[in-house]
Amino acid sequence: MEMKLLFFTSPTCSWCPFIEQVLERIVEEAPHLELEIIDITKDIEKAEEMEIVAIPTIVLPNNQRIIGAADERFIREQLDFYLVMG
Amino acid sequence: MNISTGIKELDYMIDGGLRTGQCYAIKGTAGAGKTVLSLFMTLGALKQNIPVLFISTEVEPSKIIDYVKSFGMDFDDYIKKGLLVVDKIALKPQGINVVQTDKFDLSAIIARTKAKMDAIKAKLVVFDSISAFIAEFQYEKTARSGFMDFIREITKEDAALVLTAESQISQEHATLEEFLVDGVIKIRSELIGNQLVKRISVPKLRSAQPISFENRFIINKDGIMILRSENPPTIYIQEEKTGIAKLDELLGGGIPAGSVILIEIDGETNYFPLFLTTLFHQLKRDKGVIIHSNVHMHSARILEEFNRVECDITSHLNEGNLVFIDKYNRTVTAVEAREMSQHITTDDMISVTVELMEAFTRTEQRSVIYGDLTDDVNILSETDFLRYFALQSFNVKEKRGVAYSFINHNAISREILARLRTTADIIIRFSRVNYTNYIECLKSSTGATFLPKVVKFRDKYPLVEIIG
Repeated sequence: MEMKLLFFTSPTCSWCPFIEQVLERIVEEAPHLELEIIDITKDIEKAEEMEIVAIPTIVLPNNQRIIGAADERFIREQLDFYLVMG
Repeated sequence: MNISTGIKELDYMIDGGLRTGQCYAIKGTAGAGKTVLSLFMTLGALKQNIPVLFISTEVEPSKIIDYVKSFGMDFDDYIKKGLLVVDKIALKPQGINVVQTDKFDLSAIIARTKAKMDAIKAKLVVFDSISAFIAEFQYEKTARSGFMDFIREITKEDAALVLTAESQISQEHATLEEFLVDGVIKIRSELIGNQLVKRISVPKLRSAQPISFENRFIINKDGIMILRSENPPTIYIQEEKTGIAKLDELLGGGIPAGSVILIEIDGETNYFPLFLTTLFHQLKRDKGVIIHSNVHMHSARILEEFNRVECDITSHLNEGNLVFIDKYNRTVTAVEAREMSQHITTDDMISVTVELMEAFTRTEQRSVIYGDLTDDVNILSETDFLRYFALQSFNVKEKRGVAYSFINHNAISREILARLRTTADIIIRFSRVNYTNYIECLKSSTGATFLPKVVKFRDKYPLVEIIG
């Protein structure tokens, strides 16, 4: 089963490139995970559909979210927690 | 571009209407009517065919559309015409877990809002409410600073932005958003008696002078009503002043609204100085005055007396603040009137009373009645007179007005005087001993009576001076 991580970003977001790198690394390690990067200035419909409020937002496969930037450890922890528990 | 709010008085308070490119905050405690006011603003703009984007953070759009129906508004038509979008924005969809950190911005809702504004070319954006929205964030400070970007970006689009914000009762200091918005509309509610009274004011208004007073704010099924406090309806007046500072002080600060004041004089004392001083004071405060004219107290004489003491009441006469209710034709002389008064019947008195009460009811700011009762007592039968006096007193109390009734206590029977004293709330008595005039208060509903004080009459306003 393939699971998708949605990462909402915008050109004005200064933390986003870092998070993007982290997510790319995570996805590389986990073959069943897929990453979709959405620039809200280009795809506003998707942001509307997912009811995105803040940038950066990571939407996990079970629709849980991580709002705001954090370091790699935190993101990994959250992902592990949600993907196992959720 | 100025967008009328649809509420005339509010437009006046915010200098003509909501300006595009500016942001307004409606502040108030829970239940003050912030959402209702913002919905009426929405309707006001829609009626002028100005497209509106209404964003709710608490309630589903369908609920809002249902809710406004209870105020007789129908948003469905406007939505179909493409003039209105009602939307809900929340931090997350219901039932979804969120982990938050403090490093984020709100560019997503800015972009989403802008896209919706573009779709209908919205000139007014209502955001209800910022407090509920911010409260959802774990890091409120970051959310607030992010929201500042929202305000800047939306107003840049040449649209007016209206935010509603909850103010806590204890929170008197300005919150962050108050610095950034161009206008603050504040609704305050307080409990007076058992009635919740709401007041609206504009403490901040950039680019215009905010008005410096609070107005009554009333929400009912017919909509929103704002009563300008320059002319408050008499029912909300709590305390009246006589206009003679010393007398107010002696009476414990003033006269409670709804009082009947009996002023007893002997035949030798002239009550006109007191009468004219209080009358002129009421007129100066733009209070309406009704004068129940008779032989002693008729229009020609009053105007003459005002001229004599050099008080100008022409403007008040022109504006109709002063109403004379004549028992006799106004053109007759005092002597003729005195003769005519002998032929007055109970029916005539009743019609005068009815006229008096109608005048009282017609305009709400007409709050003060003056009358000399001496003649009436002698013309009418005892029961008719007492009935008339009771009716007048009842109306005065009901309308929260004030009645000054002058009476010559030497010219009426002891029984009637006793009955009048029972009905009156305040009794002031003038007496004269060895060419010195005294004023005393025999009874007061506030309990503030006083012993005789020397009173001096002067030629210029104020005509009465109480000494000692």
